[in-house]
Amino acid sequence: MDTVGTFEMAVVMSQHCLFTAIHKHYTLDDWKLFATKHPECLQHVAVSSGSGQNDLEKMSSILEAVPQVKFICLDVANGYSEHFVEFVKLVRARFPEHTIMAGNVVTGEMVEELILSGADIIKVGIGPGSVCTTRTKTGVGYPQLSAVIECADSAHGLKGHIISDGGCTCPGDVAKAFGAGADFVMLGGMFSGHTECAGEVIERNGQKLKLFYGMSSDTAMKKHVGGVAEYRASEGKTVEVPYKGDVENTILDILGGLRSTCTYVGAARLKELSRRATFIRVTQQHNTLFS
Amino acid sequence: MPHIDNDLKLDFKDVLLRPKRSTLKSRSEVDLTRSFSFRNSKQMYTGIPIIAANMDTVGTFEMAKVLCKFSLFTAVHKHYSLEQWKEFATQNPDCLEHLAASSGTGSSDFEQLEQILEAIPQVNYICLDVANGYSEHFVEFVKDVRKRFPQHTIMAGNVVTGEMVEELILSGADVIKVGIGPGKLVHSHAPSVASTCGAPFKSFLVTFLLGSVCTTRKKTGVGYPQLSAVMECADAAHGLKGHIISDGGCSCPGDVAKAFGAGADFVMLGGMLAGHTESGGEFIERDGNKYKLFYGMSSEMAMKKYAGGVAEYRASEGKTVEVPFKGDVEHTIRDILGGIRSTCTYVGAAKLRELSRRTTFIRVTQQVNPIFSAES
Repeated sequence: MDTVGTFEMAVVMSQHCLFTAIHKHYTLDDWKLFATKHPECLQHVAVSSGSGQNDLEKMSSILEAVPQVKFICLDVANGYSEHFVEFVKLVRARFPEHTIMAGNVVTGEMVEELILSGADIIKVGIGPGSVCTTRTKTGVGYPQLSAVIECADSAHGLKGHIISDGGCTCPGDVAKAFGAGADFVMLGGMFSGHTECAGEVIERNGQKLKLFYGMSSDTAMKKHVGGVAEYRASEGKTVEVPYKGDVENTILDILGGLRSTCTYVGAARLKELSRRATFIRVTQQHNTLFS
Repeated sequence: MPHIDNDLKLDFKDVLLRPKRSTLKSRSEVDLTRSFSFRNSKQMYTGIPIIAANMDTVGTFEMAKVLCKFSLFTAVHKHYSLEQWKEFATQNPDCLEHLAASSGTGSSDFEQLEQILEAIPQVNYICLDVANGYSEHFVEFVKDVRKRFPQHTIMAGNVVTGEMVEELILSGADVIKVGIGPGKLVHSHAPSVASTCGAPFKSFLVTFLLGSVCTTRKKTGVGYPQLSAVMECADAAHGLKGHIISDGGCSCPGDVAKAFGAGADFVMLGGMLAGHTESGGEFIERDGNKYKLFYGMSSEMAMKKYAGGVAEYRASEGKTVEVPFKGDVEHTIRDILGGIRSTCTYVGAAKLRELSRRTTFIRVTQQVNPIFSAES
């Protein structure tokens, strides 16, 4: 997302061995400058692209100019279109040695299709994001925990991998995604509102805020494509989130939470978490007295 | 003998549509137009089958003017005079094929309907609307209207179960309105229909009270979860080559898509179209915020307006609310149509007609990530 997947974010993330899917709106020159200044980050970032021709050409030029970048993130709203499957094949043919992340989908058969078409890691999640309105605008979606469990099963059977993308609101959710079998967990909202995010800090009534929006929201469409096309509805919202300071603190909080989860279930490594995970269905997440 | 129906019945909020393989490249490739041939009137319909409800705040001539540009349909409320109808017909002849004239079962309603249809023969649709479509009186009324107007397409309701859909279709109705109490404000009760009150109910429905602001469910405990009602009624209607309207319960474009996915031929909207420039109802400005008044057709507000007050033997079954002013309805229409196009691409339906065949619903416990929902 253009607010979260920034170069500034990548610098901090890579210090903790975390990964950044850099948004697709940086220019080639931005990339070259970043690569020169922060060569140590490059193994922990991906170049993103939609399925359009312009996106593909720009991504190709970036990957040529910065060969240290080994990851490609192919991202469309609807990973179920045949057009996208063809696009994944095309990118695989052109970049045989890059690791391709592709999505989003929510069901096992489509995970398999994309892996067999050349993707390595499948992004799982339709509509769970905090600024995503796909579910209210279209009624389409899939509960994220079940999607992760089912898609992980399909992917692992083919020695593929998945990313749980969206729906995490707290470190506990990240732990649940890993527990459900996700190999990676992608975060948007939880990383929003930090110093490293794009956009200015807004001050209002003594409160500091930052803008955060979905990539199909009015805000994003106006910014990048000049508006919402007539035949479509915006499928994202725009919110002002409280400014949370440096992302470093949030990262430590998430990693600390995950470590704690692992000790609770007796997993010495993250790898063991899903094998040690037994989920209990509940009717209440936490005591609501003071929330 | 009291009986509890233990079969699970679902609402729109209980499900999501599962995405499916799709050969569509863009939402712009989706065709939302449908054509129907009606069982009893033998008439043809072509258009985008979304209907503005016959509430006096929504089913206005101003709304009809905009909706017909998008080939959407308007069930015009029954409180316009013959003169107003004539004036509208002269000024907007192109819109008339996308309109229905409404009536309750009262004799004054029916006389006015006759006058309107005689004066404006281009109006081919009749919307017969009572709160309780289960009354024998209503069935007789539908038969009478069918005899009087053999070639008009009759929409009739509201009901929520298959056997009553069949009864009304066999009595001469073409399109059955489905939904009791799912609306934000119950709108289907005509103030003048006193006769339904003493009429025998064919069935009482033990229902889940959903905590919605719909007051029929609160006041009477009668109702049926809308998604299940649509699925069951569509099945019954289609078996007889009849059609149904999912009436009420839609709170966002996704719900409209789910109604079509469940098998509705038409979807009728009230609340989603309220609060616009083209909506009826008073415009209110308070503390810099703009609102429009929106009320159910058996709310106290409506009953005072049209029947001089709430009769002693009955309770008001609708609410009056101030909805934030939303500007021109055109934007809302684009948003709804864009949403449904997107749904169709997700499930691989190139035409709206294919949507229900491509629909698999997943039961869910949560619709949306609630983190920022206060701001939306």
